[in-house]
Amino acid sequence: MTHADKVHPEEIKNVEVLTLRLRKLKKEWEEAEPQVYVDDTLLFTESWKETEGLPVDIRWAKAFEKRLLECPLLIRNDEIIVGSLTKFIRGNGTLCAMKPHEILEMCESGRFARKTSDTESTKITPEDLKALKEDAEYWVEHMPRVSTVNAALEYDMGPGVFDLLFDRGCVFEGRGVRYKMDRGLFQNFSAYGGGVAQVSAQCIDNGLNHVIDLCKKERERMMAEGDDEHSHGSAQFLRKYWLLEACIISCEAFIKFAKRHADLAREMAEKESRPGRKAELIRIAEACERVPAEPPRNFFEAVQCVRLYHLVCWKESSDRPEVPVGRLDQLLYPYYKKDKEAGMVTPQDAAELLGALWLKIRECENLVTIPRSQRAAPGSLLPNITLCGVDKDGNDLTNEISWLVLEAMAQIKLSEPAIYIRYNPDMDEEFILHALRCNVRFGGGNPAFLNDKLGTERYLERGVPIEDASNWNASGCLGYHLDRMEHVGGGHNINQLKVLELALNNGFDPRTQKQLGPKTGDPREFNGIEQIMEAYYRQLEYFVPILHKVKMLSLCTEITDGPMSGLRCAMQYEDCIPSGLTPKEGGARYPEGRTSWLGSRGMVDLADTLAAIKKIVFDDKKVTMAEMLEACSKNWEGSESLHQLCLNAPKYGNDDDYVDSIYDELSTHVPEIMQRWIDPITGKKPMLFIGAAAGHVVIGQSIGALPNGRTAGSPTNDAACSVMPGMDVNGPTAAINSATKKAYAKEFVGYAMNMKFSKNVLNTDEKLKKMAWLIKAFMARQGWHIQFNIHSREELLDAQENPERHKNLLVRVGGYSAYFIDLPPELQNEIVQRSMHDRF
Amino acid sequence: MEGIVYNIQRYSIDDGPGVRTTVFLKGCPLSCLWCSNPESQNPLPEVTWRYTSCKKCGICVETCPLELIKLDEDGIHIDRKSCDRCGKCVEACVQEALQMSGKRMTVEEVYDVVKRDADYYKVSGGGLTCSGGELLMQADFVTELFKRCRGDEIHTCADTSGFGTKEAMEKVLVYTDLVYYDLKYIDSAEHKKNCGQSNELILSNLVLVVEKGIPMVIRVPLIPGYNDSDENLTAIAKTVAELDDGIPVNILPYHRYGENKYRMIDRKYQLEDVESPTEEELDKAKKIIESYGLKCEISK
Ligand code: SF4
Ligand code: SF4
Repeated sequence: MTHADKVHPEEIKNVEVLTLRLRKLKKEWEEAEPQVYVDDTLLFTESWKETEGLPVDIRWAKAFEKRLLECPLLIRNDEIIVGSLTKFIRGNGTLCAMKPHEILEMCESGRFARKTSDTESTKITPEDLKALKEDAEYWVEHMPRVSTVNAALEYDMGPGVFDLLFDRGCVFEGRGVRYKMDRGLFQNFSAYGGGVAQVSAQCIDNGLNHVIDLCKKERERMMAEGDDEHSHGSAQFLRKYWLLEACIISCEAFIKFAKRHADLAREMAEKESRPGRKAELIRIAEACERVPAEPPRNFFEAVQCVRLYHLVCWKESSDRPEVPVGRLDQLLYPYYKKDKEAGMVTPQDAAELLGALWLKIRECENLVTIPRSQRAAPGSLLPNITLCGVDKDGNDLTNEISWLVLEAMAQIKLSEPAIYIRYNPDMDEEFILHALRCNVRFGGGNPAFLNDKLGTERYLERGVPIEDASNWNASGCLGYHLDRMEHVGGGHNINQLKVLELALNNGFDPRTQKQLGPKTGDPREFNGIEQIMEAYYRQLEYFVPILHKVKMLSLCTEITDGPMSGLRCAMQYEDCIPSGLTPKEGGARYPEGRTSWLGSRGMVDLADTLAAIKKIVFDDKKVTMAEMLEACSKNWEGSESLHQLCLNAPKYGNDDDYVDSIYDELSTHVPEIMQRWIDPITGKKPMLFIGAAAGHVVIGQSIGALPNGRTAGSPTNDAACSVMPGMDVNGPTAAINSATKKAYAKEFVGYAMNMKFSKNVLNTDEKLKKMAWLIKAFMARQGWHIQFNIHSREELLDAQENPERHKNLLVRVGGYSAYFIDLPPELQNEIVQRSMHDRF
Repeated sequence: MEGIVYNIQRYSIDDGPGVRTTVFLKGCPLSCLWCSNPESQNPLPEVTWRYTSCKKCGICVETCPLELIKLDEDGIHIDRKSCDRCGKCVEACVQEALQMSGKRMTVEEVYDVVKRDADYYKVSGGGLTCSGGELLMQADFVTELFKRCRGDEIHTCADTSGFGTKEAMEKVLVYTDLVYYDLKYIDSAEHKKNCGQSNELILSNLVLVVEKGIPMVIRVPLIPGYNDSDENLTAIAKTVAELDDGIPVNILPYHRYGENKYRMIDRKYQLEDVESPTEEELDKAKKIIESYGLKCEISK
């Protein structure tokens, strides 16, 4: 890590990220009609047919190579950073080998959904439609109808297992186990199968020629001396040979892909009459001739290299391209510093380049093949950027690029990438204010702040040395990983609220009308909350080993089934080359990382539900348990006042010990149960994940009305420790206190706190400072992840319609802050009006 | 010791430095026409009705043992003179549209809430603000509360109209770190006309605070057509500057946002036709204050 020079905010505040040319490019993209892009899938299939009979690693690598060598390229007019996913200004990529049935269905219906919006179908030409349909048909013919994971689960556990999985009982939710989910050849959409490739600073800095060289040497060495990692003749020994070959093919393909861009740029330069543009094109050509084979020579080449990495990783991770961009400020800073000192780059130049990179990253879109209702994270592509952090010696690494990236975010105002700041208490307060100001300008939610110390400590506790432990970055939704040292995949989740629902129904699932869990007693006969909790724990104890089994079967089936390993191995070359294993197979330096995650969803709802039962049934004796359950089963129909009573019961997030103590007990006991069985893959305690991101909508659909006042099918709480919307009536400090009463974030990964403010509560630096203090106190109390949303106009409108859901909506009016719902309608209207025009 | 508290607002962002908790005390000897917290004036608890939440179900009407609640198409009306504050209607309303504003609380009870945010005060230099109502009406309670804060190194701020006895003021000041002092008029007759009391005590207590050397901020609510004359502003600036021109002055622009609260307690709002001051008017007021060498800010 390069030591950061002092930042001069005035230099940064005046930069124009969206220069005229970028504004034009952005507008052009925004206005372009999305098109279905088919060239890559056709190339893939063509290669697949050509490589019939070769080892599967090679087949994947060759298919990847063919796409990179033959796909059409696009350099748009006036682009300064190049590398487009498709030949269209706005194209949606896809691979039929992933989900042929779903794509075929789309071809037949003529409707192509897309990631960002489903209101209109993505366009496709008649020729492309014909070709895509044929392609899909080929894969349908060559693929079994039911995914191999599902087949394996059914074989091993019987058809009853599907009653627990997503879309049926929904006790478990994991992307690899969706019932009837059709997967093609590659299971990489699943949480485990592929995971994703990641932009790696180490690879950029060393150049891929270095990696290719290592692969070749290792292969020669192996041939000459045998392999000391594995016994001769073992399957792994034999596999390693092909894996190294796959690495070489993938890296070389990537280098050639860059060279193709160089050639195109030169060709365009020759025809170009404007001398300025000509020079730019030559600069692009020179960069793409250099990187990624060799290390970048300057800042511009480094930015161009990051772009190419992101694009290629995206292509390789085809169907789940959540490619983390990593610690962008750390990666770019050494190049920037050197150029700036040499007078070759100014903050303004850097700002424009970052803006250009930003637009290219955001451009990548794929066709969506999952029905909207089942999507976990609608619209999210998760190319996360991580900033700041401290090094192994405790130095704050915030630098000028950290400032500029935030500025780019605020000026460009596109939903992604998401920015994560590794927060440490010694950070310059000016920087935090800059981040918060950018948050407000952006419209809220970005950046998020992560607890730097806690993140590093989690790795240290696992025995990871400080050099590696301090190099983590945000990935996926609410996850994090070590650059080039961990497998980046997801986790399997248990839906805690469903487990409780079963406990409240003696193991019977009201929705599927099946006995899914053990009979833990009829709650109508219970006479205290302890018995309810006991029944819930017993249900959980029954399901956790099953979850482990499902997870293991999913993973081992996918490992044998779907490789796509070449590029990913190459990116983790220090470990994967000697071991001859892909990251997902345990080749990563710290294999237990995200492969062992178990997710626990709905903890807040769980605590609220138990608190409401305790209060209304057992303490205040307002209704009997029988009456309560009856009202829930009717989704509150005819029990409106009981429903209201339930909504008014103590709720988590208000610093109210009545319910917080229940949350606390759950947070101790649930991990204890979930970690009682070791992870069958790593042989260690599973790591627990509690993030919900947008999965709360999906799991909520399977759960009926419950005593916390929820109605059947409504979303569960939207994050790990945020408060149910509208329920935090005591303000942000109370909400944070509930979330940090104990060091919960140590136990659970993904422990995110979402807070909402109205824009006009944040209109002066003085008030932003108060928000900065909230962050400081949150981190001091061992919080993990906090972000601030700004209320939208829609929300204000909804608050007018449904005041009960927005008890906490604080707005800034005149000289003070007021709860929105307390204001008379006319003034509410005024504020709604104003929310449209507020500008910072 | 007990006080009557009508609200405790945590993470209150406008009542002093840092992150603060503001304890609003009930009861005020003044009755400023523009008061934005009318429920704070009566020293006793009273039922408030949040009409935006009311479903007009009539349950409260049936619940009141004294039959004091009437329901018509505008909502409910309570005969407040006869109400004995039994709270039965509040308990019965599941919509939480009815609330009892004002609760007897001990110093310990209040302090329990205050110290929950100690971590936030620590990182921000914040603390407790007592506001009202008029805290001098409950001087002993405030003093005790502030004393507890001092013990735990929590910053204290007294937000006062200055209307109270000298003894009350002296008592409170012992444990006060910062005073927010409201000045509306210098002319006593005007003060009496619009705020219900003459202002001699206010002006003498002001001198007292200055003499004690406790940091202070003067706050001037600016009500167009009432106290925004050049004459009044000049008098305020002069008074402050003569005492100590290092005292900052904050202007609080008038807003109508308290209007609805009158309806919540069956009262009528007096200032229906007054609009918020314009940017120019605010700027002008600021310039007058500044012309006396004072630092002046407009609260946004
Ligand atoms: S105040 Fe409450 S109980 Fe009375 S009518 Fe309104 S909602 Fe019903
Ligand atoms: S507080 Fe008691 S007396 Fe007063 S209106 Fe409510 S129920 Fe009637």
